[in-house]
Amino acid sequence: MGSSSKSKYKEKESTPSRSSKRRHGSPGADDYDAHREKRHRHHKHRHNKDRKLERPSERSRQVYEDNDVEVISVENPSNQKINAAESSGQGADSLSIAETNRLRAKIGLKPLEVGGSDASTSGKKDDGKKKDDLGEFYHKPAENWADKAQRDKIRNRLAEHKEKRQLHSKLAKVKTLGESDSDDDVSNWVDRNRNSEKAKMEADKRAKMLEELDAQFGIGEVIEQEQKQRRNQQYTYKDLRGLRVDHDVDTFAEEKQVILTLKDTGVLDDEDDVLVNVNMIDNEKYKKNVENKKKKVLYNAYEDQEYDEYGIPKEKSLLAQYDEEIDGEKRESFRIGIDNAALRRKAAVVQSVKEKLAKKKLESIAEKQLTLASEYYNEEELAKFKKPKKKTRRIRAKGKLTAENLLPARKVEEIGSRRNKFKVDGDEPDISIDDVPDVEMPTSIKFEEDDKDDLLEKALHKSRKVKQRENIIANIIKAEVKEEQSSEENVDGNIILNSTAEFCRTLGDIPTYGRAGNRDEDEDLIDFDKEAFNDEKSDDDDCEIVELSGWNSVDPRNEGLDLARLAPQEVQILDEEPDVSTGMGAALKLAMSKGYLDKEDNNRPSNSRFAHLQAQHYSIEDKSYGEEGNERPGGRGRERYSGPIQDFKEKDSFKPNVKLEYIDDDGHILNSKEAFRYLSHKFHGKGPGKNKVEKRIKKSVQEQLMKKMSSTDTPLGTLNMLQAKQKETQSPFVVLSGSKQQQQTAISKSRR
Amino acid sequence: MIEITCNDRLGKKVRVKCNPDDTVGDLKKLIAAQTGTKWDKIVLKKWYTTFKDHIQLQDYEIHDGMNIELYYQ
Repeated sequence: MGSSSKSKYKEKESTPSRSSKRRHGSPGADDYDAHREKRHRHHKHRHNKDRKLERPSERSRQVYEDNDVEVISVENPSNQKINAAESSGQGADSLSIAETNRLRAKIGLKPLEVGGSDASTSGKKDDGKKKDDLGEFYHKPAENWADKAQRDKIRNRLAEHKEKRQLHSKLAKVKTLGESDSDDDVSNWVDRNRNSEKAKMEADKRAKMLEELDAQFGIGEVIEQEQKQRRNQQYTYKDLRGLRVDHDVDTFAEEKQVILTLKDTGVLDDEDDVLVNVNMIDNEKYKKNVENKKKKVLYNAYEDQEYDEYGIPKEKSLLAQYDEEIDGEKRESFRIGIDNAALRRKAAVVQSVKEKLAKKKLESIAEKQLTLASEYYNEEELAKFKKPKKKTRRIRAKGKLTAENLLPARKVEEIGSRRNKFKVDGDEPDISIDDVPDVEMPTSIKFEEDDKDDLLEKALHKSRKVKQRENIIANIIKAEVKEEQSSEENVDGNIILNSTAEFCRTLGDIPTYGRAGNRDEDEDLIDFDKEAFNDEKSDDDDCEIVELSGWNSVDPRNEGLDLARLAPQEVQILDEEPDVSTGMGAALKLAMSKGYLDKEDNNRPSNSRFAHLQAQHYSIEDKSYGEEGNERPGGRGRERYSGPIQDFKEKDSFKPNVKLEYIDDDGHILNSKEAFRYLSHKFHGKGPGKNKVEKRIKKSVQEQLMKKMSSTDTPLGTLNMLQAKQKETQSPFVVLSGSKQQQQTAISKSRR
Repeated sequence: MIEITCNDRLGKKVRVKCNPDDTVGDLKKLIAAQTGTKWDKIVLKKWYTTFKDHIQLQDYEIHDGMNIELYYQ
């Protein structure tokens, strides 16, 4: 509102000063009148507004009065303000400086710092100082770089000028060519030369004078003597004689000067002085380096001879390439004046050539005579030819039984047994007991005896008799069948006993013999005889067994009777029992029949046992054939090689009985789990821990105990004890003594 | 001397000449003299900072030709 009113003021005040023409581009007279009209209208309007305007000013006056501030007349400043506004040309209200100063004075403020900015800046420049924010310190003004640059420039220019001046002054002294020419005169030059000549002459004169003086006093002779002495003391080629030079003679070129120096040696080394040339040493080093760089191949594949420069084969030592490193470098050296190395070498070469010639082998051109090669050795060659030596194997002199061997023994036996009636055929074919076991009727017993131990044999015979009884019974039928045959060849039906077989069979009996302490062979013999007697006496009785493991004899005369009697009794319902004594086969048979051993058939796994149940024409090939047939009806697959799945037709019946068994170190058969553990431990090389091992051992021991335990009795054998007790008391019960029993009886009584 | 423009954006726009070391209170009195409002009803702001009476203009970094918002309370 205020602003608008003020703008009106402006117009009002400005009207007299401004011409209407200035306001509008090019107004005519009519226009001017029209404008006037408008202005009048404006005036009217303005007057109304002026009235309105008075009010706020009055109000403001009141305000100022309230605030105890001097009343400011708005009217007056407005005039001045207009000028300022016009000058600034802005829409906002603005008082002039003077106006503001007046206003400020009224409010109580210091006047405006009009133009102060310029003054202050200039003042600052003059001072060259600046106050900091707190006004305490003055700061040094920053350097003006422009000023500095100008200063430097001027200084440089001055320095240049100065130098120029100096140079000029210096050059001014030097004479130019023309000037100098003008100075040097011929006369001058001549004078100078004369002067120098004169000086020389004077010097000569003076020298002569001095010499004359010396001669007068005899000084000349003394000097000459000194010179002689010095010459004598001088080190000459005579002194060099015998010194060693550490180079090859050939390296010194003839008629050439070489400077030799003493070689460096340790202070404490007690060696002779050695002369060397530094340059030659360097040359040698260089040569050596070149050699090293050549990279000689050490390996000589065909052991070729190496030759030195004179064509003489080099002697080769083992690992010659390391000789230098072990022994140190070989150096050619010579002594001055003493040994003429060059001559010596020549002599050596000549010598070597001579040797070479001496060594030379003469090879004939004639070739060896050709001969026809023959397929056979001639006599000479045969003589050379060595047959491979046969290893002569020593056959053990095992007493092979022959009739001759047996003869003397038989005699002994005949004497001992007093069975003279029985003739023994010397021609009888010798049959070992293993071949034909117990076929013959045992009418008499023939011993095959080793000479060594007939006594033992007798003892064996003793036990044999006992067992024989069983044999007799068992073999009755067989014997009858073969009677005719045996009668043909073996009239008496002797039993032939093999000593070793007998020994093995009766091993169980012998310990008793040894243990009894009746080692005396004579006694034994006597016993044997006695028994024989006894047996004969008690002929009718069935051969009584005196001792189970002892000997018993059979009277062959009673045999017929016995057989007759025994035959009907002993022919068993079951098959006859095979004779265990005859051999392993028989023993196995017996075991089989008794069921100790299973038959192998039963032992087979189901695969082979039920083989007959399997499909007859089934093969693995059939499987693949079906598939292929579906794909290709041509059936080409049949002809094709079907690889490893083909059946072995020739091995059709072969049904292998595969059974994998693992056995541990102790011989126990392991089950799969144990086997795995065992193999694993072996493979890893790391066994189970101590505790585990103990546990396993304990378990196995327990298992063993379990197996040993009888199934019919308690571990403490109470059943046995009970039975024994019952037998003792001869009653079917056992009375358990004790107070408990009485109570029981009492109870039973009360019950009754 | 600096000249500051104060605008209330309601029709009043004043240009005030003052010294940089005048306080805001002094400026308010000058504005009041020019506009005719009571000086203690005037609030001067720049964005959200309200200028306090006892602080010099130079401390508020009010320079020549700056615009200050004019409010009334």
